[in-house]
Amino acid sequence: MPIELKLPRFVGIENRERAAAIVPERSVSGRTLVLLIAIMTFLSGVTLGGVVLVQKSAIAWSSDVGREMTIQIRPVEGEVMDSNLRTAVALAEATPGVASARALTLEESQKLLEPWLGAGLDLTAIDIPRLVVVQLADPAEADVDKLQRDLSAVKGASLDTHAAWRQQLNVMAGTIVASGLLVLTLIVVATVLAIIFATRGTMASNREIVDVLHFIGASNSFIAGEFQGRFLTIGFRGGIFGGLAALLFFLLVGVAAGSMVPQEAGQQLGILFGRFALGIDGMFGILAVVPVIAALTAITSRMTVRRFLQKTS
Amino acid sequence: MIEFSNVGLRYGQGPEILRDLNFRIEPGTFHFLTGPSGSGKTSLLKLLLLSLRPTRGRVTLFGKDTSSLDQDALLQMRRHIGIVFQEFRLLDHLTTFENVALPLRVLGEPEASYRANVTELLEWVGLGQRLDALPAVLSGGEKQRAAIARAVIGRPDILLADEPTGNVDPELSLRLVRLFAELNKMGTTIILATHELPLLDAFPFPRMILNEGEIVFAD
Repeated sequence: MPIELKLPRFVGIENRERAAAIVPERSVSGRTLVLLIAIMTFLSGVTLGGVVLVQKSAIAWSSDVGREMTIQIRPVEGEVMDSNLRTAVALAEATPGVASARALTLEESQKLLEPWLGAGLDLTAIDIPRLVVVQLADPAEADVDKLQRDLSAVKGASLDTHAAWRQQLNVMAGTIVASGLLVLTLIVVATVLAIIFATRGTMASNREIVDVLHFIGASNSFIAGEFQGRFLTIGFRGGIFGGLAALLFFLLVGVAAGSMVPQEAGQQLGILFGRFALGIDGMFGILAVVPVIAALTAITSRMTVRRFLQKTS
Repeated sequence: MIEFSNVGLRYGQGPEILRDLNFRIEPGTFHFLTGPSGSGKTSLLKLLLLSLRPTRGRVTLFGKDTSSLDQDALLQMRRHIGIVFQEFRLLDHLTTFENVALPLRVLGEPEASYRANVTELLEWVGLGQRLDALPAVLSGGEKQRAAIARAVIGRPDILLADEPTGNVDPELSLRLVRLFAELNKMGTTIILATHELPLLDAFPFPRMILNEGEIVFAD
């Protein structure tokens, strides 16, 4: 047979589409893995969002409560309440770091008791403790000790700095945040394990491709790169689905929480427990999970593939 | 080019498949490797392809003792060796063109640099009209010619063929061996494993006969 290498070019070849992937998409347990990664991303996003919400609420509440102190003056026989109130307000206003001090009126004080005693009761016959609300200009600068000392001159007066409340809140918020981070770590570990198993399965089912690539002189890093590319795509796809689902979840829960309780009660709950709004930073946090999960998928699969190739080649 | 010195091979704790192989193959030659089924032809080809290491003895390729080569050096050496299998081993999801271009693609060469060469080679082996066909629609002969094209596209110095005519009819077998002979004329060293006597008789190439793990040469 004569060798004739000067043959006319094949016309269609010039417009050939981009070369097909060496590792076929369908051979990498595609849909199952995309679903798995989507679920893991969703769980990570929800956990992260929850942590952000708790932390934000705790910081906001702690900061609000920290800017306020309360002086309580109990009724003492022989003492004139109004006079004691004026003295307490004057002492508070004279304390460094205090922005303002205001005694609650009798009506306001009675209103505070309504939740316990009910509305419409005539409380004029009863001596009830009275409160002075002290707003601090700067909690760090406020001389609480001085105020405490000064108030000892007023009979029946005591100062509540809300420190116990704040401490309790911080402990609770810290516990929730730490638990959330632990859950997040476990989700990441579970994701890595799932990807390792999926990669091993993929390598076993693509053994023929790996063998052929070895025979034709492909390096381990080339083969690992081909598989990594596939897994990166799957990681991104699953991550985007899961991340968007987590954002949607917070959006829907936020809307549902707002519509389930009356507006007034909603405002009070908002003050107490936070607004159930992630904010831009929380949303970016959840979106940042997507590339992290995708990168984690790609890196884990590459390491698994390289270990597999080192064992087999 | 190829030198075996006291080479022996066993799998695990089993008996020796190959025993005391001592031979030398010069560059540019064509050898048939023959022997009964189970005589160790495929194992010998795997030693030559560097996908197995001998359990004893020394295999020297291109003047280098292969036992002292690291992974990278083995990879570089393997790129000088082409292999054709009886069962073709084309990747089912790639077209004929993509299968044949694969050895160049794994080297990181851009398609524009090899497009013309691959096309010409496929024309030469008679697959010029089957560039975009998937292996599933190719006949046995077409698949084997694609596999041969894939093995030689990287211009290997040594071409190994393991029963390349096992899945094609006798007439096509002769044509395929003629194709190997043409490649040999261009300077490629060829070792073709077969146990088909008509083929051995049809060509005047020397024979390496494996029997019970030992090898003898015959003209």
